[in-house]
Amino acid sequence: MRVQHLHKVFDANLVAIEDLTVEIHPGEFVAILGPSGCGKSTLLRIIAQLDQPTSGSVELAEGKIAYVFQDAHLLPWRNVLRNVALPLELMGVPRAERLAAATESLRQVGLADAIKRYPAQLSGGMKMRVSLARALVTQPKLLLLDEPFAALDEITRQKLDEQLRELWLRHRMTVVFVTHSTAEATFLADRAVVLSSRPARVVEDLAIDLPAKREAPLRSEAAFAAMTRLIYGALERGGA
Amino acid sequence: MFGRIAICLLSCITLIGGCAKSDSDHSPIQLTLDWKPEPEFGGFYAAQQHGAFTRHALDVKIQAAGEGADTWQLVATGRTEFATSSADQVLIARKQNADVIAIFAVYQTFPQGIMVHRSRGFGSIKDVFTHDGVLLAENNSWLQFLQKKFAPVQVKTTGYGGGIAEFLAKKDYSQQCFVTSEPILARHQGGDPQTFLIAAEGFNPYTTVVICKGELWKTHPEEVKSMAEACREGWRDYLDHPDPVNKVMHDLNPDMDLQTFGEAAAAQKPLIETDQTRSAGLGTMTSDRWKTLSGQLVDLGVIDPSGDPQGCFVNP
Amino acid sequence: MKSARRIAGSLLPPVLVLIGAAVAMDIAARMLQEPFMLPRPQAVLRVMVDRRAELASSLWTTAEAALIGFFASAVAGAAVAMALAASPLARRAFYPYTVFFQTVPIVAIAPLLVIWCGPGIPAVALSAFIVSVFPVIANTLSGLLSTDPALEDLFRLYAASRWSRLWKLKLPSALPNIFTGLRVAGGLAVIGAVVGEFLVGLFGPGEGLGVRIVSAKKTGHTDEVFAAVLIASLLGLALFAAINLAAKLLLRHWHASEQT
Repeated sequence: MRVQHLHKVFDANLVAIEDLTVEIHPGEFVAILGPSGCGKSTLLRIIAQLDQPTSGSVELAEGKIAYVFQDAHLLPWRNVLRNVALPLELMGVPRAERLAAATESLRQVGLADAIKRYPAQLSGGMKMRVSLARALVTQPKLLLLDEPFAALDEITRQKLDEQLRELWLRHRMTVVFVTHSTAEATFLADRAVVLSSRPARVVEDLAIDLPAKREAPLRSEAAFAAMTRLIYGALERGGA
Repeated sequence: MFGRIAICLLSCITLIGGCAKSDSDHSPIQLTLDWKPEPEFGGFYAAQQHGAFTRHALDVKIQAAGEGADTWQLVATGRTEFATSSADQVLIARKQNADVIAIFAVYQTFPQGIMVHRSRGFGSIKDVFTHDGVLLAENNSWLQFLQKKFAPVQVKTTGYGGGIAEFLAKKDYSQQCFVTSEPILARHQGGDPQTFLIAAEGFNPYTTVVICKGELWKTHPEEVKSMAEACREGWRDYLDHPDPVNKVMHDLNPDMDLQTFGEAAAAQKPLIETDQTRSAGLGTMTSDRWKTLSGQLVDLGVIDPSGDPQGCFVNP
Repeated sequence: MKSARRIAGSLLPPVLVLIGAAVAMDIAARMLQEPFMLPRPQAVLRVMVDRRAELASSLWTTAEAALIGFFASAVAGAAVAMALAASPLARRAFYPYTVFFQTVPIVAIAPLLVIWCGPGIPAVALSAFIVSVFPVIANTLSGLLSTDPALEDLFRLYAASRWSRLWKLKLPSALPNIFTGLRVAGGLAVIGAVVGEFLVGLFGPGEGLGVRIVSAKKTGHTDEVFAAVLIASLLGLALFAAINLAAKLLLRHWHASEQT
């Protein structure tokens, strides 16, 4: 996926993104960081074609796109299973098939026994896992996540990070993960793209040289801390 | 919290009580008419305009009421000293222990009728009730009388809200009417109305009767007598010379044009001036008529037999 | 045991209010000394017992017209709201005029009602409809326009058709608002039916509550007037309860209003 010379202006002359170019390769796990309001969500939305760029282009490879929002945004009137099945339903997949795929997707996030429950009965972490399962049900080639775990407590967040990394290892889709957290970026990604404050441009494009399989103990290792410091430095330079 | 609820309830009760008990001022005296200024009230306006009230030492303020509370209720609760009503309403009021009496009857013959399209070829009211069609009428005692007389009834009856719009729009519609009003209106608007008087079927209450509290007749008989005589004078005046008073009423009620005022005043004369009035005076009543009406209402179940038809009117 | 206490807890307050109102009415009636203004509660109850057969058939007639009008409001109101939600231009052009339904006095258009539909239940149902449709339109429209934008993004992401968006997202999302509108419309439909019967109801056996109120008033039977009014109120209450029950069944899994 290639983003070239992206330029996005909102009305009232708010330049969100100015001449941004970045290339992401298939199967990469890329974290995008930057100060608040710098335009990273806007970038993600443009990639997902939810917003249009003012100028510049986005080239995408073939394949389905999935998006995970900052809040789970489940349909409250549907149970968990039918929520996860929604993307397939909108694509016209027959009932039996999509419910089976939804069940499988929920199993992968560890919620197989919650399929009959309603969102109102779920905790924040569980809702986010349902949202994740929903994103994965179409077996997307590109998975976009916009600070999905930011509202959760530390422990749940770390557990979900681990779960996401495992899912990525299994399916190897391209992941673009927007986050504020240097630790989260270091744990999850192979590459961290640091953006400057508004208007956003690329400050630093760091490779994260850590083992493929990442488990909880990694967070306390020296290499981990070093990486987070690097990213932190880039953020500072970008005007965070 | 309960204290506040108690205060609320108490003030509501006081409010209701206060509204009911308030006595109206005795100067000027109020005469409340049960419709708008039209020829059916011509004599009263004549009395006001040409001094009949003042000649009888009465300071009268005429008030035209709309729909809403029946005028007998206004008299019984002291909101007005005099009002116009109808004989059947007086009997109904007295059944409810409201002490109102009739002192002057403008219409000796019941002026309500049923208006039909001439093209229907009806010969009498019986035909109206025993054929298909729609009848627009208020659910008054006369309607119940006719429905009983001509049972089983075939026509569909529904409410009457005033006017002739529905009547003109549909040929199979008939409606109640005041003989001095709707038929004239219908003719002016190009309709071909035919009117049957309800009195012809035997139901004939005095109408546009002046009423007051029975208590007033006991405590101030001169005032009541003066009122009746002033009305008599005013009505004589109006029957003989309707035009100037029509103009006054038209100014108060511009919805009705002067030509209609004139036609209505002419049409109502034979209902107001009859052999009875020529011998005993305009507005006088007989106990036979009241007895008959009372019997009819008892028969319809509107009032019970214990009432005394004698005590409900006077010829002061 | 616990559920018995809960039932008592929800029934007791309104019952106490009813008893309090009856007592207040009795005091007021006795203070007034004019029984034709306000009947005593015992007189009203006696009429309800003595004439229960006629009052029951009146209730049936009025209920039929009110329910037809109500369902027409629900369906037509929702349909109009959906049309207005779909087009901002239509909304700007037409929405202000829907208020006319709310403000037109039935008395003024009664002749039209009776000419179009004939007297009786059709005209009365139309009266009930006219009086009750606006709250359905207004509340449904409000609900349709306040869909969560993130959910709209979600549907856009998967290229959902317009129909999918309406049926799977906007309508379910608007359900709580729709029920608010229906709750208001229910009571109004009963009022619209009773007032309609004042003007265009059919007289005769099985005449509606509105017709009965007017003729009882004309013949001075205020106890019967109050009895008919009370029964009409109970009809409104029953409709309200039915709507609440439907709301509970449809919303219980997910909406805060039905979670307690």
